[in-house]
Amino acid sequence: MIDLDTFLSQLVVGLFRGSLYWILAAGLTLIFGVTRILNFAHAAILVTGSYITYTIYVSTGSYVLAFLGAIIACGLLGAVTEVLLIRRVYGLDPLYQLLLTFGVTLVVNEAQKLVWGKGSVYVPTPEMLRGGVAVGAVTVSYYTVFVVIVGFLLLLALHYFINMTMMGLRLRAVWRDPVMSEVLGLNPKNYYTLVFFLGSAIAGLGGALLIPAITVGPGLGDHLIVLAFIVVVLAGLGNIVGSYITALAIGVTWSLLTLVTPELDIVILYLISALILMVRPQGLFGER
Amino acid sequence: MILVYVVLALIPLTGQRFYIYLGSLFMIYAIFALSYNVLFGYARLVSFGHGLFFAWGAYATALTTLNLYRDPLVGVLVGIVTALIPSLVVGFLTVRHTRIYFAILTLAFGMVFYSALVKLRWLTGGTDGLVGIPKRGVILDISSPQAYYYFILAFFIVSTLLLYAISRSSIGLLIRALGGNEERLPFLGYSVFQLRLVAFTISGVGSALAGSLYAILMGVVTPDISYWTFSAEPLIMCLVGGFEHFMGPLVGAFVIVVLTTIAARFYEVWMLVLGLMVIGIVLAFRGGFTGFLETTWNLARHMVVARGGASKS
Repeated sequence: MIDLDTFLSQLVVGLFRGSLYWILAAGLTLIFGVTRILNFAHAAILVTGSYITYTIYVSTGSYVLAFLGAIIACGLLGAVTEVLLIRRVYGLDPLYQLLLTFGVTLVVNEAQKLVWGKGSVYVPTPEMLRGGVAVGAVTVSYYTVFVVIVGFLLLLALHYFINMTMMGLRLRAVWRDPVMSEVLGLNPKNYYTLVFFLGSAIAGLGGALLIPAITVGPGLGDHLIVLAFIVVVLAGLGNIVGSYITALAIGVTWSLLTLVTPELDIVILYLISALILMVRPQGLFGER
Repeated sequence: MILVYVVLALIPLTGQRFYIYLGSLFMIYAIFALSYNVLFGYARLVSFGHGLFFAWGAYATALTTLNLYRDPLVGVLVGIVTALIPSLVVGFLTVRHTRIYFAILTLAFGMVFYSALVKLRWLTGGTDGLVGIPKRGVILDISSPQAYYYFILAFFIVSTLLLYAISRSSIGLLIRALGGNEERLPFLGYSVFQLRLVAFTISGVGSALAGSLYAILMGVVTPDISYWTFSAEPLIMCLVGGFEHFMGPLVGAFVIVVLTTIAARFYEVWMLVLGLMVIGIVLAFRGGFTGFLETTWNLARHMVVARGGASKS
């Protein structure tokens, strides 16, 4: 039988994983929500963030600088991609949009191999966040707590930004009706670039948070993008709060499945996701 | 088409093992890409899960020849026939959806299959895969390069002729109509669901054939061939060759196989080139290589016609 402590520690692992998935999915769903583009390259950008964190940390030794550097660099990478490439395919069949961002993914992945080599890189947990708190017999590391809190703060920040600021209001206007908002003097293109910057900057944050948790190497982005797609589509594309809940649910479900059937945990996870998608293609929190 | 067959039939006469291997690989990828295009080019459904069917064929062949009946021909036939099961099941479950939802659903099913291949060690050998798939069997012995080459060529000719016949048949036309205007089909009394399922099954079984031949050629199968990045290969081939034209995926498969094999020797950055190619095609040449040829041809003809008209007046 599974005892309570094992259950609790797996639950914490699940929340930790779920928070990382949320940060991974947040930018993707934000970008889709406003521009209607499902950015295949999102996870590749996130992994670039991890690599940049690594480089800045190794050369300066400062975590704060590394975090900020990753966020800004990824934001710029996203914005440049939008201005140079994605801008040209807005009116086209979604097929081409998907294929274009897929092409970008290949390029970004290979560029990473060129710059950082084919091996894995790793950054130790920040000094401040080493150690942990004991909850019963289970020790929860400070880093886990930190990531879960950052995830929740990101949710609050995004929610506030979109629903309570003037910029958020304008973004929603562009999202609802690009033509009408253009008539009212907003240039949707600027907002698309802005949203690519923001979404990719969040990916940079995700990349920076990811690298002390796992080693980063080639192929990681290919693996992450599948999870990201599943989170945002399951939640309902463009739904921020829904993505948060879904990401946590997937993280926790995965951890608990590992406890029950370590053999088939991922198989069952993907199967459940596929079944939910078949019944509700608009997602759990989406509306048609 | 006949020209392609003749050239392919002549390759083993060079006696170069390298060309024979490359030719075999090309035929396998061409079958994969042509089958994929039934769904992608005709019905305009983007699947990110076709590695599932390729891997199904490969693993079915591997398991049959290793455990049940030691013969490559029987192995390939089992691969094709059993592929009807996943094609119909996954098709039945996914073709109700379109666009991004279809892409994500096929991706999810592909990942289910991939993780099952990795995790079910007792059956599939996990990440190590299955080794020692025989070329020499009870009925057929195709262990010499020429023999397995002609074995693959025979399947290549039969399957491409079949696919061509399908593309010209009324069913093929109806599937193309799906990509063109699917709202209109029900008014004409056709079921969009059934047509999509037919397209899905054809492309699934064709991909499985490619997978079966791949298992025989390589002698080894690993779960990589069901990972989603592998599912994207026929997509890239269709895109590079041009998915509007029947021969497009064939041209795409040729370009990719030749470039991967040759370019990979010189550049580490081959995938970078491929990515730039995909971006370039989406931005500038949406018809792919065959589309580009067609446009140039039409343009040239118009110019000739225009000049001819001018000289007469």
